[in-house]
Amino acid sequence: MSEFFSIMGPALAASLLLTAIFVYFGLHIVRRGVIFVDLALAQVAAMGGTVAFLLGYSLEGQGAYFFSLAFASFGSVVFTLARSKEEMVPQEAIIGIVYAFAAAATVLLVDKAPHGAEHIKYLLVGNILWVSWNTIGVLFAVSLVVAIFHFFFRRNFFLVSFDTEQARREGISVALWDLLFYLSLAWVVTTSVQTAGVLLIFSFLIVPAVCGVLLSSRLKMGLLLGWLVGAGVSLAGLSLSYSWDLPTGAAIVCTFGLTLLLIAILKRLIVG
Amino acid sequence: MKKILCLLLLFFLPAFGLRAAEPLSVVTTTPDLAAIVKAVGGEQVKVESIAKGFQDPHYVEAKPSYMRLVNQARLLFYVGLQLEIGWLPLLVQGARNPHLTQVELSQGISVLERPTGPISRAQGDVHPEGNPHYWLDPRNGILMARRVAQELKALAPTNANYFDQNLKLFESDLNRRRQKWEERVTPFRGTEVVTYHKELEYIAKWLGISIIDYVEDKPGISPSPRHLENLIQNMRQHKIKALLVSNFTSPTIPQAVADKGGAKMIVLPVSVGGEKGIESYADLFEAITGRLAEGLK
Repeated sequence: MSEFFSIMGPALAASLLLTAIFVYFGLHIVRRGVIFVDLALAQVAAMGGTVAFLLGYSLEGQGAYFFSLAFASFGSVVFTLARSKEEMVPQEAIIGIVYAFAAAATVLLVDKAPHGAEHIKYLLVGNILWVSWNTIGVLFAVSLVVAIFHFFFRRNFFLVSFDTEQARREGISVALWDLLFYLSLAWVVTTSVQTAGVLLIFSFLIVPAVCGVLLSSRLKMGLLLGWLVGAGVSLAGLSLSYSWDLPTGAAIVCTFGLTLLLIAILKRLIVG
Repeated sequence: MKKILCLLLLFFLPAFGLRAAEPLSVVTTTPDLAAIVKAVGGEQVKVESIAKGFQDPHYVEAKPSYMRLVNQARLLFYVGLQLEIGWLPLLVQGARNPHLTQVELSQGISVLERPTGPISRAQGDVHPEGNPHYWLDPRNGILMARRVAQELKALAPTNANYFDQNLKLFESDLNRRRQKWEERVTPFRGTEVVTYHKELEYIAKWLGISIIDYVEDKPGISPSPRHLENLIQNMRQHKIKALLVSNFTSPTIPQAVADKGGAKMIVLPVSVGGEKGIESYADLFEAITGRLAEGLK
């Protein structure tokens, strides 16, 4: 058991931290119906990292991080504008286009760099097993700042996501709070994507939130259930990875998928 | 009573001595390095490789067993020249092993394609520290084995003689067989070939084969249509007979290029364990030279 913690400990801590922050964002995102927004933000951040790399910054350094952050923030502005112009063009279409553009532009950019393609792959795949306590510390600090901000303005954030009409009636600027929402998500995604990778972040964001929505119509209950599912799946996925020596990120993602399936079947059987 | 105790002590001392000389635990990044360590370390070393022979050492997936290996090892041998840069630093950091000695085996090797002067990104496919596939020349293997022996002796000085003997055996065996391998490919010296990735430079240089072009013009990036067109023309013009690829490479693109350029595709194992039956460092060159002599006929 102690060997489990000495090998998997940092990955477990990182998974729990990701659960805490992304389940909350997931509830918003499922409600807003912008399911792939994190993939698009991660891809845009990777494009920023690539530009920094080409300008001579190290991919692991501060420079690349700030470039990624700047690009992802620009992406947030685009997503905010996409919503206020709604009606004809669904927001999800804009998100898809941004994703495809950023991915393709990154390929064109790395075409000039030696072994560039590999570097970009590492930007998006992540290796949660090899996370350092240092990285966890940074991630914790960013999550804490974002969490405090969202807790303080929770009424505005929830109104803008869940009841836009009511928000407008109360004179809350939907565009401003949308922008703040996407900016804070962009910050968390940019900080965590090199550690966890896009697949894992997508799972942390969407699966527990969907489970929460399936099991309870109440928001607080949904959040609590989502946290519970996220923490349970993290522990189960890491244990599977440890005992069968499986690639860790992929083991957690698949455990998430199977858990959702199980919950959906159980709900069907019990509720009918 | 004292006498009996003394006798008992004398009787058990060798047993304590044996216990102290447990095999040295060594981990390597690639199976080629593991094969060399095994040859030099023999029974006094327990060695395991992280990447398997069929895996591209540029890229390794994170698994808990790798952490355990690095966590419990005394010595880590790696290729270096940025071959493992994407994962090894993270793995070593994650394994948190304060007793680990890390040894990059590229020291003392004359590295090919090492850029001189300042490099800029504009140079494209220049590898900043030179071509890292240096284990694919048996003469480099001997240099690597000497370095391995030196490191093993430093950590287990009581077995120094044993390691030296093994090293001698390894060197003489490899030198003897090297002549046979060279003779096998002698008729094809100066043959012009095309390869997929820049990973066969050391073999080519050793055996006097000249590589005139690559399918992949930039490492890790799929070739552009115009490059392929030029390449195929180039192959026809020079009457290139063979396109060499490693066993990691997916054969679809190289096979199509070989067909269009009128050449034969030869698949070479580039790592111990990359194919069935390649278990030692010498087996690797046996297979490579055999395949070349057969394919270039």
